[in-house]
Amino acid sequence: MINELKKLMKIQGVSSREDKVAAYIEEAVKPYVDEIKRDPLGNLICLKKGTSKKAKKIMLCAHMDEIGFMVNCIQDNGIVRVSRVGGINYIAYSNSRVVFENGAVGVLVPEGKTELKDYNGDKFYVDLGVKTKAEAERRVKLGEMCSVESGIVKLYGTKYAGRPFDDRIGCYVMIEIAKKLGKCKNDVYFVFSVQEEVGCRGSHAASYNVLPDIGIAFDVTPSGDVVNPSTNFSVKLGDGAAIKIKDSSVMCDRALVAAMFEAAKANNIKHQTEVLTYGGTDTSSMQTVAGGSRAGCISIPTRFCHTQNEIVDMKDVEACIDLGVLCCSFDL
Amino acid sequence: MKGTALLEKLCTAFGPTSCEYEVAKIIAEELEGKYDEEYTDFIGDRIFRIKGKTDKKMMLSAHMDEVGLMISDIDDNGYLYFQPVGGFDVKVLCGRKLFIGDFGKEKISGLIASKAIHQQSYEERKKATPIDKMFIDIGAKDKADAEASVQIGDYAVFDSDFIRFGDGYIKSKAIDDRLGCSVLCDIVNYIYENKITPEYDLYFCFTVREEVGRTGALITANRIKPDLALVLESTAIADIAGTPEHKRAAKTGDGPCVSLMDLGTVYESALVNFALGLGKKHGIKCQPKKYVAGGTDAGKIHKAAGGVRTINMACPTRYIHSASCVIKESDYYEMFKLALQIALTSPDDVPER
Repeated sequence: MINELKKLMKIQGVSSREDKVAAYIEEAVKPYVDEIKRDPLGNLICLKKGTSKKAKKIMLCAHMDEIGFMVNCIQDNGIVRVSRVGGINYIAYSNSRVVFENGAVGVLVPEGKTELKDYNGDKFYVDLGVKTKAEAERRVKLGEMCSVESGIVKLYGTKYAGRPFDDRIGCYVMIEIAKKLGKCKNDVYFVFSVQEEVGCRGSHAASYNVLPDIGIAFDVTPSGDVVNPSTNFSVKLGDGAAIKIKDSSVMCDRALVAAMFEAAKANNIKHQTEVLTYGGTDTSSMQTVAGGSRAGCISIPTRFCHTQNEIVDMKDVEACIDLGVLCCSFDL
Repeated sequence: MKGTALLEKLCTAFGPTSCEYEVAKIIAEELEGKYDEEYTDFIGDRIFRIKGKTDKKMMLSAHMDEVGLMISDIDDNGYLYFQPVGGFDVKVLCGRKLFIGDFGKEKISGLIASKAIHQQSYEERKKATPIDKMFIDIGAKDKADAEASVQIGDYAVFDSDFIRFGDGYIKSKAIDDRLGCSVLCDIVNYIYENKITPEYDLYFCFTVREEVGRTGALITANRIKPDLALVLESTAIADIAGTPEHKRAAKTGDGPCVSLMDLGTVYESALVNFALGLGKKHGIKCQPKKYVAGGTDAGKIHKAAGGVRTINMACPTRYIHSASCVIKESDYYEMFKLALQIALTSPDDVPER
């Protein structure tokens, strides 16, 4: 099980360049679904047909993309300038190894005199170890994307550190749901979306293509059990699946949230309540696109989101999978 | 009318966000009888269709609105206070001449004033005057006199001549995005004059409200549900003194920009390469837009109707959103040539995603 997750985490997919991730997931879910398609933005939409004639459309959604950078200038001395793709914390990523789409490796560093408070994209560059523009251009092209080196390591017990758990862990949860689901009365759409990190763009198009009755996102949420958290969150690592009430992009459907709590309690699935004061997920697009849907989110508690070492507990992940399977039979 | 002569006519028209009627009228007159179908929606987007050989739809779009101001108050002395409609650098406003009015109303002249320098405190002198400390002087005697010609809710746009100067440069207001509108008209004219039946079913869309909310493009894309979209824009580039190399987005004189990424869209790399490749193949100057800033109608279009594959092409423009936007005339014509190549391309030649 953990080996599959490791593989999924190793595949690069910066926003808009998710094709390799999609190819892997397509292979993984193929035996468990009836129809597979990619839409014009690249969303991977997999349908498992329901057994009931009055089947509801349930859309499960996790995003395939990760945050990264795009090459926007190659300078005469071979210095490569990059723009951020998604919410980059430059302090966390300073002096990290970055890997490009074609496999080239460089180091992301700030200009020498930059003070910590002035860290931003214009002050950073990638050192490829080259001396000239021509050498740099042999390795990377304008418009090419890169991300900070990926991969995970085991910590204590069932906890793992690495990147990009945001949101390959959500994709992993959905792949496992597909495997476990068996017969279900509802039509279940497993949507692996693109471009979430740049503003939930993929799920916007995907929701229009699916027009779900119920939409449930699977994404990471910050865990509050760190030293001096910037804001107070009640979510803790190891306390189970986090049922989202709100984030700054969405107020989740009350009936759906209630049904999630009920299902979790009735089946002894460890769960907790998430009230997030910032952030956004694909939940918001599912709720509002076209005629809208009942939308909610099952979050995987994650410490240090958007850094090289996001930490998750596999016990929480299993709780999310179990709760996700139950949600597929909802009739709201 | 054609080329930069048409551009001049369009740029000098009065058309702030949600008040694009004058621009729409010029376009409708220009295109009269040269299309198969025409549609105007409830907020004012104008769509002109030229039927193609296939049923694949291409949306070619440019927005008609320009950045402007809205009159929000008139004081007892007859001075007007205002709010920006669209994004402004406050520093470009002070001292500017304006046209004030609304659709169907006679426009009057005014100018943006603020406290004279010898009356400013030491602190005030160090900073740009904030927008709520500026006002418009229309030479009115008092409030009643001002209200005879201006109402709260009226608009103001820059009063700025269209001039040609230097080594083939043009200066005007509202280049963003009358330039896109003008190029679209040129394409329609070219197709009409040469009696061409395009491969794609072409929808020429002149959208409203890009500068605030991009509503027009969203509605239009949802209505058309295109297979491919080409957005024509003018874009800030910073090829000027004092800007380091890696913050320069593009250069005037090097042809239209094809955007890699902006704050609203990450453009599909296969389509970026397709557009730049067409330029190379036909000897048309073009360049990638490198530095990431701003956004366009593409941000709404590519997410609409279940996802639309979108190309953004923009004319490099200095001092955008000011009374004096500057472009190189040759870039206009290179942009027309490249946009025409894309408009006339066959769906079979567009790379799959």
